Amino acid sequence: MFEFPKNLYTDVRIEEAHTTKIAYKNKTIQEEKIRRNKGAFVRVFDGERWYYSSTTDVDRLQEKIDELASMANPKEGLEDHPIVKAFETNQDKILQYEETDVSKVPAHKKRELMEEYLSLLDVEGIAHHKSFYVDNRIVKSFYSSKGAAVTFDKQTCGIRMDMDVVFGKKKDQVGVSRGAVHFEELAGLQEYFQTEIDKNLDYVKNAEPVEAGTYPVLLSPTATGVFTHESFGHKSESDFMVGDETMAKEWKLGKRIGQKHLNIVDDGNVRGNGYVPYDDEGTKGKKTRIITDGELTGRLHSTLTAALMEEGLTGNARAVDFEYEPIVRMSTTYIEKGDTPLDEMIANVRNGVFIDTIKHGSGMSTFTLAPARAYKIEDGNITTPINVSVVTGNVFETLALVDNLSEEFDLLSFVGGGCGKMEQFPLPVGFGGPYTLVRELKVE
Amino acid sequence: MKKETVSIRTKETTARIRNTAVEAVRTKDIVKKAVRVYDEGKLGIGGSIGDVEESVLEKQAKDNLEAGIEYPYPLETGTDHRDYNANPMDAQTMLKHTERILKTLRDEFPEFTFSESVTIRETTTTMRNSEGLDLSYHDGRFELGFILKEKKSANLFDGFVAFEGRKFDPERFWAFNRKYLAAYNNPVDFPKGDKLPVFTLGGPETKRFLMRALNGENYATNSSLFSGKIGERLFHEKLTLEQNRNPKETHQAFFDNEGVRNENDRVALIENGVLKKPFTDKETAERYNLPHTGGASGAYDGVPSLRTAPLRFKTDSEDIKKTLKGEPAILVVVSSGGDFTAEGTYAAPVQLAFLFDGENILGKLDEFTMRSSLFAMYGEDYIGTFKSDELYLGDDVQLQGFYMDIKR
Repeated sequence: MFEFPKNLYTDVRIEEAHTTKIAYKNKTIQEEKIRRNKGAFVRVFDGERWYYSSTTDVDRLQEKIDELASMANPKEGLEDHPIVKAFETNQDKILQYEETDVSKVPAHKKRELMEEYLSLLDVEGIAHHKSFYVDNRIVKSFYSSKGAAVTFDKQTCGIRMDMDVVFGKKKDQVGVSRGAVHFEELAGLQEYFQTEIDKNLDYVKNAEPVEAGTYPVLLSPTATGVFTHESFGHKSESDFMVGDETMAKEWKLGKRIGQKHLNIVDDGNVRGNGYVPYDDEGTKGKKTRIITDGELTGRLHSTLTAALMEEGLTGNARAVDFEYEPIVRMSTTYIEKGDTPLDEMIANVRNGVFIDTIKHGSGMSTFTLAPARAYKIEDGNITTPINVSVVTGNVFETLALVDNLSEEFDLLSFVGGGCGKMEQFPLPVGFGGPYTLVRELKVE
Repeated sequence: MKKETVSIRTKETTARIRNTAVEAVRTKDIVKKAVRVYDEGKLGIGGSIGDVEESVLEKQAKDNLEAGIEYPYPLETGTDHRDYNANPMDAQTMLKHTERILKTLRDEFPEFTFSESVTIRETTTTMRNSEGLDLSYHDGRFELGFILKEKKSANLFDGFVAFEGRKFDPERFWAFNRKYLAAYNNPVDFPKGDKLPVFTLGGPETKRFLMRALNGENYATNSSLFSGKIGERLFHEKLTLEQNRNPKETHQAFFDNEGVRNENDRVALIENGVLKKPFTDKETAERYNLPHTGGASGAYDGVPSLRTAPLRFKTDSEDIKKTLKGEPAILVVVSSGGDFTAEGTYAAPVQLAFLFDGENILGKLDEFTMRSSLFAMYGEDYIGTFKSDELYLGDDVQLQGFYMDIKR
């Protein structure tokens, strides 16, 4: 297919994306965008430096390869370079969404589905609302000079409704969303959306300012997912550790960083936003146990980081789209469930905070969660809704403070947004887990 | 049938940096094009990434008319071609700067590692229509963004070294960054007191919160914190907040997503502390009888809509050092993850901050939390918005000061 230059490592990733966005302002259609775009990313490695090019001119990829090769310094024996040796050479074709391709669902069916749900928003308190249906199906092909040749597809779809709620002087913007893999899964969700809308309205109407302080905090599966992603997930991305002795010592495999019941997993095989059957370097998606029984047992790798740290590949080299090179990213990251019923967990909290939904989170030395809906827990009951700016904790201490995990468990996908890592945003990731009780976090 | 075209061409070269060395060089040349057609009060749009024939996009746009998207507003006219950087830096010069900077960092600051990227980006945006509109905006930028990590630290990263501008002056870059990195290595105690002068580079959460409050649709449907308050004093009398499309200051096109231009590229939304108007696009202005500000946003191939606006505070104060009159202040460099509650209470963790005398960065402070509220920050506790020449972080950098509650 391509004539790869000698004594260089080369790979080519071609992405063909079909996307739909149907947006409404109140009940009026505002946009119906159906696009089919194609682009490619080419990499050449000479053992010292990488050369990248992204292009939409996919008919002239050979020229791009030759252009990058002309900037590189070919080396004999490059095939023995540890990074080049580490690349997998899979040959595979997995087109599993051809039958249920979201792009083949007529636009009028997508509009009808949305319009059915929009009637749920005709209630007192909702001043105005904006909603959208989105879907995308991407077919990715990957070829390398080592012989890899992989083609696969992935798809997601979802609905999001954002509403501006006003009850006198109490005003807030709240949302509800549901992501899925197949279009049919988005049907019949009236009860789910109605429940979430009711919770949102009640929250805005009755929320009181929080009394800032340190509290035991119960996290919902959504909040657990963001907490896991921000408090620890990014620290397991090994590009931050390459060539860094302090980080290598701090995050040495085998180190205890949580209690015995804590298990954290990243799994590229979970369908949804974080589905990565092959990563953007052609490595097969894997399930990586990052923390097992409270001990650090793994981390996430690209081929480069795995080779430099002399560890195995994990299939976590991902690019946000064809304009970027793959870097180490999470796929679907979650805490495994525990064995305590949720009711029992709540019953044991005297004075705490329950975080139900999340606006955003971040993770440096201090991680943050900005709750959308939060509530007091008083004497074993979830009670008054509270306005909270931000919940914070120290990334090096908080995992050890995870005291209890529920037997209830959920994995989710965001609709709109995603994970940001420097210039690459938003990358779709999966997240979730059980209800999680953290002994203490700062609540502002 | 009327027709309008939008195109954005971005050419860039990026040096990817890992551990204070160039790891990769990336080139991009991406064209994004859209065709809009207007017929009997309806709008249809076709769009693509890549240099697709206009006729193909026009057919897509005509097919899209079936969706019934209403757009009964007049189209813009007029010609305006502007070039804000006719001779942007080339790739070879960028790579030379990068290698020199990295060598200096390796030689003089071996206690840190620096990673991420240096980029030159050239953008040309055009909007033309069958009614005679012909707008084009060309610009070029040099962007240096390093995450800084102390070798002895177990954090993912500890701070930033950054610059974004049309021209790059290595002497000024080093004059500032040598002082900045020296201060980083000099831990100092907090000034006394729980409420201290804090200077920030403009937090995204503040702009996001103000943008929501100043959105014309939110204003008109009573869902804004500012609803019903046009003509009222909201903030400190010297504070002016503008919808600013002056590319010199905001590095973006001088027209909105409906091709609308403003006199002097600016519209005051809050002037001398008084709310003048929210930002609006054509639809919002007409529907709610509000002044039209040219505030339409949206993707190149999306329907113009009212979501974000380029908000910028007017510089209202001079000389931070004189203003402080010897009072020690805090300069916030990294504050990630904070937010406002619906009623405007603000709290944010500060991951990196320095002791600051208004001119010089004196030493590094421990992490802390800052708290306030929107109305206090821009009201009684507002110090001012200053142009900062000392902090060589880019073109037209502003520092904004407030008294904030500090929790160590």
